[in-house]
Amino acid sequence: MASSHGNNTHSEAAMKEQIITEFYAKSLHIILESRTPYVSSRNYSGEQALSSPSSSSSSSSSVRPRDKWFNLALRECPAALENLDLWRQSNFEPMVVDVVLVQRRLVSDLVECSPRTDLARNLSLKERYPYCWNYEQEDFWCEAKSEKIIERWVLQYDTRKTRDTKSGSRRSSNNPLQMLYKKSILLLRSLYVTVRLLPAYKIYRDLNSSGQILPFTLAHRVASFAEPFTCREDAEMQRFEFTPVDTGCGRLCLSVLYCSSLSDVSSEPSTPMSPQVIPDYVGSPLADPLKRFPSLPVTGSLSRATPVSSSFSRRHSWSYDHGIDSPPSVSFSPSPTRSEPHASISNPRSRHFPPTSLPRYPPETSLDYKKDVGFYEYCPSPGFSPALSPSASPSLPISIPGNHVSKNLLRSESAPVSAPVAKRANSPASSQKLNFPPSPPLTSTSSGTFKTDKATVGTSVEKLFSFGKGESRQCSGLKISSGGSPQISFSRSSTKSFPDDFDDSEYPCPFDYDDDVTDPGSRPESFDQRHEPGGLFPIKKSQDAAVGALVRMLKKAPPLRQEVSDSVSLSQGCRPEMWSDGKQEANLSSESQAPVQPADSSTVISSGLITSKTTADALEELQSYRDIKNSLLAQSSKSHV
Amino acid sequence: MNCEVCQLKELEVEHFEIREVLRCILHTIVFNRALGLVRPKDVDLELFEITYVQCGDLELEKKIDEKIEQFISWVEKHPNKKSQVCLSFFEVKNKQPSWFTNKTERLYWEQWYINLNVAQNPKAHSTKSHHSKVVVDPGESASEERVARRAALEATLHEVLFQIVKFVNEKKDHVPPIPNLEGVVSFPYEITIPSSSDSAFGMDMIKRMLQTGHPTMLS
Repeated sequence: MASSHGNNTHSEAAMKEQIITEFYAKSLHIILESRTPYVSSRNYSGEQALSSPSSSSSSSSSVRPRDKWFNLALRECPAALENLDLWRQSNFEPMVVDVVLVQRRLVSDLVECSPRTDLARNLSLKERYPYCWNYEQEDFWCEAKSEKIIERWVLQYDTRKTRDTKSGSRRSSNNPLQMLYKKSILLLRSLYVTVRLLPAYKIYRDLNSSGQILPFTLAHRVASFAEPFTCREDAEMQRFEFTPVDTGCGRLCLSVLYCSSLSDVSSEPSTPMSPQVIPDYVGSPLADPLKRFPSLPVTGSLSRATPVSSSFSRRHSWSYDHGIDSPPSVSFSPSPTRSEPHASISNPRSRHFPPTSLPRYPPETSLDYKKDVGFYEYCPSPGFSPALSPSASPSLPISIPGNHVSKNLLRSESAPVSAPVAKRANSPASSQKLNFPPSPPLTSTSSGTFKTDKATVGTSVEKLFSFGKGESRQCSGLKISSGGSPQISFSRSSTKSFPDDFDDSEYPCPFDYDDDVTDPGSRPESFDQRHEPGGLFPIKKSQDAAVGALVRMLKKAPPLRQEVSDSVSLSQGCRPEMWSDGKQEANLSSESQAPVQPADSSTVISSGLITSKTTADALEELQSYRDIKNSLLAQSSKSHV
Repeated sequence: MNCEVCQLKELEVEHFEIREVLRCILHTIVFNRALGLVRPKDVDLELFEITYVQCGDLELEKKIDEKIEQFISWVEKHPNKKSQVCLSFFEVKNKQPSWFTNKTERLYWEQWYINLNVAQNPKAHSTKSHHSKVVVDPGESASEERVARRAALEATLHEVLFQIVKFVNEKKDHVPPIPNLEGVVSFPYEITIPSSSDSAFGMDMIKRMLQTGHPTMLS
């Protein structure tokens, strides 16, 4: 840089400082904007507006002051803004931005017999709910998550080596400030391009544009220091260093370490979805009852003592899923402590764009604080939510009876709430701690204590499926999956688990008899059973047609009780009471389990509700279905074998 | 005054890929040189898993597309040729107000050469590959090959984009000061394609070199 001019030195220094500050800001903005799903304006009209209301303005041609900096108008990125404010006062400390790939390990870990893609595929049946994003849900997954830093951006203002690079200023350099500014612009332009060339961008793009629910998401952390990588991590990383910009009294150095191979992740979602049955998936450990509902017995006993909590522990809230505005809030009435964090979380803004940085492991003293920990520690991008959202959103409302219940269907659901209870059940001592969901996944506690989360995961998966094809159906709720292509796989996880879990206990539900029947084929209702590994269903892959036909048949078949499905919403009102009895709860949930079928979720509801139905009735129904199925099986075996 | 020149790695493209590839490269370069107020626009390529950035300037887009079309029609007339597209940035200076001319002069300060090798008709490829697969029907092996070729092109294109990023990063000093102009693309630029009379392309370049007097141009 050229010499500084005497008289202006002061203001020049101030301007320089401002340029540097803004450079930090812009860099962070550029990085996070393309790493925080649902924040960019990549064609998300409605959803985006929901997730970040202010973003709409970015598309307009108005130029905000921030845009003028470096002549680069960026989209709104609240995540960046939040961090920026902190940085403005930070006196040019280094800024380290870690981009973290969070994968739901449950898929690979739990589902031993099914390839990961299965779940991806299944999940993707669901439409996304980008705005139903929720920290609490985050917690459910925390055991199932694996994190990997896939990018580390380091921006620092290096004042120590005032290496004299006089190389510049051959041309324009009269004004060092101008020169600095121009070079900063150039650097930021190339940063903008580079960010999109790195592998992580594909993940971001998939998260944002696929419309699928993906078993991974991106999160980020901003700090002034970098946790060292392990050797192994280090070896995987490639480095790209931007040419530093000389400011005259220091250098702006920007570099990125990135994982060059993320193909395993990003290729997953590209698997085309098909209504194909995935045989292995049925019996997958995802559906493993023990894993999924480890807390149930416990909650049962718990709930006997405390009816209220039992409602929390209810995992199968099918009815609520489809419920409209039943007043479940009554039964939910959470303890004030719990409701508080929930309430705050439910604020869409805070949910989506939590501050991410700084205190990494603050003491978990209070619930509220704990929440903050979650935010700071770990800022899951909203993109994560879609996968969970159907069940995630339900969790919010619980805490806020009367608040969201009537407004949002999703919110009236209770499933996620059960998690805290489950945790409590598991480790009563730490209940206080565990109460609050958004536990920082990075802390050591998370992995140890939250074993039950798997269960919840399972639940949420089920709930996804129970939602059937999309939000549009929420209201009607009853015939959710009646679409043209029967996507059987999705009901699988739900059906499977319960029977196994409770096969020895006494069920009032007629369908539970099925579970005792050794021949899975005898359960016409639950497709899943047939596709269990080791199940009798002979054809593994090409039975789509048969299954499709079966599904269609089932769809056409009259509901077990027609009037029941009509009265779902009504029944919801009375449901909570049922739940107050722990035992019954188990029964009920198992009831709702057994009949679950892809074709008609209304049946789920109805069967769950109608305990008055006699076993004989059910058996009768069952028999007729069995006949249908047998004939189908015969057909298919003829055609396929 | 020096003119920096960047020769981009050669890309083997098929005819139908020319448009996307050129768009991607040209826009990326221009974006890096558009120092006016830019509202970037991300564009995903259709053929490749690549996202590039546009300036969001309609006029620029139009101009680039026009040039690409010209280039494509040139390629059609001259099959099986390696070809170059050149994107140059310059400043306009008034020539010294001499007494017989007051022309303006272009001072080129940066030139990018995009090297394309437009491949033969893909059919020729598939026939060659017969020996590789025995049982598989030719259609399948051809498509396999196409996939492989596409992947290779994607990788090279990626490399080229990184090449641009690196170049842009390393060479900043020669970039003129930002003119106080309205508009996104702050510096005048031109895109040169081989002209219709085949040999004239090289001549063009030489002529321009002579005109602008940049000895470093092809260095």
